[in-house]
Amino acid sequence: MNAIILSAAFGVMMMLCSFLLKNKGSLRHIASIALLILLVANIADTYGHTMFLINTHGMLLFNRFGMLFNSIAIGSTFVYVLLTGKEIEKTGTYVAEYFVLIFFVLCGVTLLSSYNNLLTLFLGIEIMSIPLYILTGSDKRNMKSNEAALKYFLMGAFSTGLMLMGIALTYGGTGTFNMEAVRTFPNIYKGLASFLEILGLLFLLVSMAFKVSAAPFHFWTPDVYDGAPSVFTSFMATIVKAAGFIAFIKLCAVRMNETSGVVNWQMIYAILIVATLLVGNITAVFQQSVKRMLAYSSIAQAGFMLFSLISLNDLAYEGILLYAAAYSLATIGIFAILVKMKDISLEGYNGLAKTQPALAATNMVFLLSLSGIPLTAGFFAKYYMLAAVLKTGTYTWLVIVGVLFAAVSVYYYFRVIQAMYFKEGNPQTEVITPSFKYGVIALAALIILLGIFPNLILNWLYF
Amino acid sequence: MSTSEILFWFLSVLALFSAIMVLVSKNPVHSVLWLIVVFFAISGHYLLLNAQFLAIVNIIVYAGAIMVLFLFVIMLMNLNKGTEPQKNIWMIFSGVISGGLLLWIFISASISAGDIVGKNALLKDGDIGLIQNLGKVLFSEYALPFEISSVLFLSAMVGAVVIGKKN
Repeated sequence: MNAIILSAAFGVMMMLCSFLLKNKGSLRHIASIALLILLVANIADTYGHTMFLINTHGMLLFNRFGMLFNSIAIGSTFVYVLLTGKEIEKTGTYVAEYFVLIFFVLCGVTLLSSYNNLLTLFLGIEIMSIPLYILTGSDKRNMKSNEAALKYFLMGAFSTGLMLMGIALTYGGTGTFNMEAVRTFPNIYKGLASFLEILGLLFLLVSMAFKVSAAPFHFWTPDVYDGAPSVFTSFMATIVKAAGFIAFIKLCAVRMNETSGVVNWQMIYAILIVATLLVGNITAVFQQSVKRMLAYSSIAQAGFMLFSLISLNDLAYEGILLYAAAYSLATIGIFAILVKMKDISLEGYNGLAKTQPALAATNMVFLLSLSGIPLTAGFFAKYYMLAAVLKTGTYTWLVIVGVLFAAVSVYYYFRVIQAMYFKEGNPQTEVITPSFKYGVIALAALIILLGIFPNLILNWLYF
Repeated sequence: MSTSEILFWFLSVLALFSAIMVLVSKNPVHSVLWLIVVFFAISGHYLLLNAQFLAIVNIIVYAGAIMVLFLFVIMLMNLNKGTEPQKNIWMIFSGVISGGLLLWIFISASISAGDIVGKNALLKDGDIGLIQNLGKVLFSEYALPFEISSVLFLSAMVGAVVIGKKN
């Protein structure tokens, strides 16, 4: 509860800052301090020190898993603001408002990690999405940004419509918005669930797959991620996407699981996974722009995160948290370096190791982590995802498919490394301050540390 | 036949007829006007179910705000008979098939859903739709989503400023 209320309150506070403070440079410092307070408040909440005792009437359910995810999301946002805060200021004139929207997105994220009712699920998804439509279009003079925002808004509104339709149909089938539905006699179909509910759940599945950009509902992703200002793409592709997965996994663990006697949901997830891995990885191979390549790679990574829906065991829950942390941190790092580059095509990276050895080395660590090479956090993230499926004993073929596509992904991540280290060129970067350099080095160190001791995060789930 | 039954059949026929007219009208402005008739007929149904608040909200929000928006869009884009795009035969074909499949699913869902068959709506009595009960539920059981939706509206307002204000 702390995180939900405080993030909204900090959003309002940043709004007041926008006209009370004339000095724009101090805004990002205020935002990072607020994020730190938010993180501390959330950790305090995890151990029972809540500031707000509110009777939620079962609308929200706080558990250790959701709380730990909140901490990961807030922590990643903190790292994000520290590394790329300056770039946020450069995007446009309404700097404070961008931070306001980021705080509101966090409010939606914390809501999604604790929802226990389809109403709060809907509110969380919307609070998370609407600020993103605006952030996508924040670079008003750039036509690509405008196009991306409109596209994102229209597609997002359409998927919201599907979600509402799904919620309405499941309500018709069960007579309740609660996650755990009591299925009494007239609502029963085949002894388990009403047909209306199954239809509604299918709609919900489609709209959630849209939000996490799983194929075949991914068509908006490359254009939106490519068109949005790079700083905000970084935020959208990491924290927001991970939160979408937390919401998705909860929906699957309760509602889909209850009706699994009627519909073979696991087969549907398997089809989604194979399609997502195929589209994401194969298309990423052919991209010439690093930013667009990262957009497709984020689709491919979503495919790996979807593995947790099939297994839904303790390894899957641990794995999705580790994946959220590893993927968010690595992608934030890559984007932090990307926004410093003048030319974001693959050629723009040629010879970076000569001119900026520190940036090239850290970028290599981030890319290795994304491709899942051992000793980086990404390896254990992928390992947990695949091991969780193996533990269920079924769908072993899916694990083999996953490993094959992980091998494909190594190819396009290594193209960037190859460009940085083995090609001649004179890459143009903006001025790199020493503090930025130390920041990315610390982030890379954190990723390696998590790659050696993944329990640094996972222990928090139990102690 | 009681009065409410006569009203029910009249409103149902009106709603269905005007919904079909929305589809078959060649002129988009006529379609929109027929759609308003649909909304009024549905509001009449709500009144029959003793849900006055829902009926009024339906008219204010749909017939009022959203329809005006539709009309604006149609007028701004200057859509009329002449500008109707030529439709590809395959487009129509796939549209009919996918629409028909959806209709099929909905009909079979309604038929096999045990909770709909053989259950009558409460006509004239039943006080779920009264604004008093709605308010009580909204500020007790649903207080949390009600309050949290303010964040949603606030972010939409901030967005309107960020996108709309001139530099």
